[in-house]
Amino acid sequence: MLKKIECFIQPFKLDAVKDALIDAGVEGITISDVKGFGKQRGFIKGEIPNKEVKFLPKIKLEIVVDEEIVEAVTRTIVRLAQTGEFGSGKIFIIPVEDAIRIRTQESGISAIL
Amino acid sequence: MWEMALSRLDATMAILGLNDGMQKYLREPRKIIEVAIPVKMDSSIIEIFKGYRVQHDTNRGPAKGGIRYHQDVTLDEIKALAMLMTWKCAVVGIPFGGAKGGVIVDPTKISINELEKITRRYIFEIIENIGPEKDIPAPDVGTNAQVMAWILDTYSMDKGHSVPGVVTGKPICLGGSQGREEATSRGCVYTILSTLKVLGIDAACLNVVVQGFGNVGSNAAKILFDLGHRIIGLSDVTGAIHNPGGIDPYKVADYIKSGKTLASYPEAQAIGREAIFEIKCDILVPAALENQITASNAAKIKAKIIAEGANGPVTPDADPILAGSNIFIIPDVLCNAGGVTVSYFEWVQGNLAYFWGKREVNLKLRDIMEKAFYDVYNASQKKKVDMRTAASLIAVDRVAEAVTLRGIYP
Repeated sequence: MLKKIECFIQPFKLDAVKDALIDAGVEGITISDVKGFGKQRGFIKGEIPNKEVKFLPKIKLEIVVDEEIVEAVTRTIVRLAQTGEFGSGKIFIIPVEDAIRIRTQESGISAIL
Repeated sequence: MWEMALSRLDATMAILGLNDGMQKYLREPRKIIEVAIPVKMDSSIIEIFKGYRVQHDTNRGPAKGGIRYHQDVTLDEIKALAMLMTWKCAVVGIPFGGAKGGVIVDPTKISINELEKITRRYIFEIIENIGPEKDIPAPDVGTNAQVMAWILDTYSMDKGHSVPGVVTGKPICLGGSQGREEATSRGCVYTILSTLKVLGIDAACLNVVVQGFGNVGSNAAKILFDLGHRIIGLSDVTGAIHNPGGIDPYKVADYIKSGKTLASYPEAQAIGREAIFEIKCDILVPAALENQITASNAAKIKAKIIAEGANGPVTPDADPILAGSNIFIIPDVLCNAGGVTVSYFEWVQGNLAYFWGKREVNLKLRDIMEKAFYDVYNASQKKKVDMRTAASLIAVDRVAEAVTLRGIYP
């Protein structure tokens, strides 16, 4: 069974997370520069929140893996993306029905390995 | 055939180091039923046919296996095939034991009416021994979905209510599963794709030869063709064809359906039936009968992978020759287990009276086949044995473990 791991992390954590994910068996990562807010509504430590919402820059990683390594991957992300502050990010795990490699039409786990 | 099955089992049990008692236990089928089937033929003459049902093992679940109608059926053959079913269900990890049935009759020489009478009386004779929780028949050589429908009806009449879980391979409108017909081929293709992965062969436009163009062979050719591979050789009982540029198996199927023979197919060159094994290719799928690749022709095979769509297409004396040519064999118990796997899905769906779509069936089949493939492959790497030995080791070990856990009654 394939799972998609979609996670949002601080941009400066990307390099460390990327290298460790490759070691954990991840065969491909897609990233995008995104902006978002969470429970703090974009206000960082020391700021006085008002009713507004501030979008802060984050990196979104999209990774499709076999369910066997989901825990290893999420543990790695948690360990390396933690900043000790609000705004470290979030991880979402989503079931993937199928995957197809366009060049060879391989499907399922074969498509991502 | 029975002796061959036993000698393979003995070799496996020796590697596993099973004790004497367990060895004796696994060699013997749990139950052998032999029945006389009296039938009033269309001519009003009474004929007696001989029928068998052998349940080799029921420790991992109810017995499961096909029923074949063939004039050459023997008890030894049915025993061997029942044992093969035990190992097959264990390799793919579905909760069934193994069984097989057979009636000594040439189904092409009797009327449809006589065929129905034989089926119903045969089932009546073994009715106490079959059922969704006991033993679930399926089609095999000489039987089809219609025969399964008669079995379903006979059993249901006896019980007083409809029991769709008593048999698999039924017509879809009576509770058959989507995807059952091409399940064996699809499973076979999944094991091929996993093999390409572990061998590091790029899965793009590979050359494929399929021997046998029945249900398994034709569907395997079509599925591989759809995945962009090149079918360069095909054969059936009438002959063989070769085209290095590729053959469209859909066109061939239509051509044969129109009443012509495979060998006369115009868009390929006709070759001798034996020559099918000499074509240089990446993947060879023997999907015809048993004992096709022997010590006498094994050395001529120039394939990277042999995927055993049929049962026992490679004889034991051919195995070392193929290994010497570095050919990777996907053994029958693994390669063609897609059929019994979707039979399992059909049994589950019938028991629950809740039916799945084709896509769901195919995805679930892929999960089971891939897991089984990697179980066998990892065992073969770990124990440094070939795939056939690894599959036997896994199967026999799983059954032996079930026997040990359940213990001997009383």
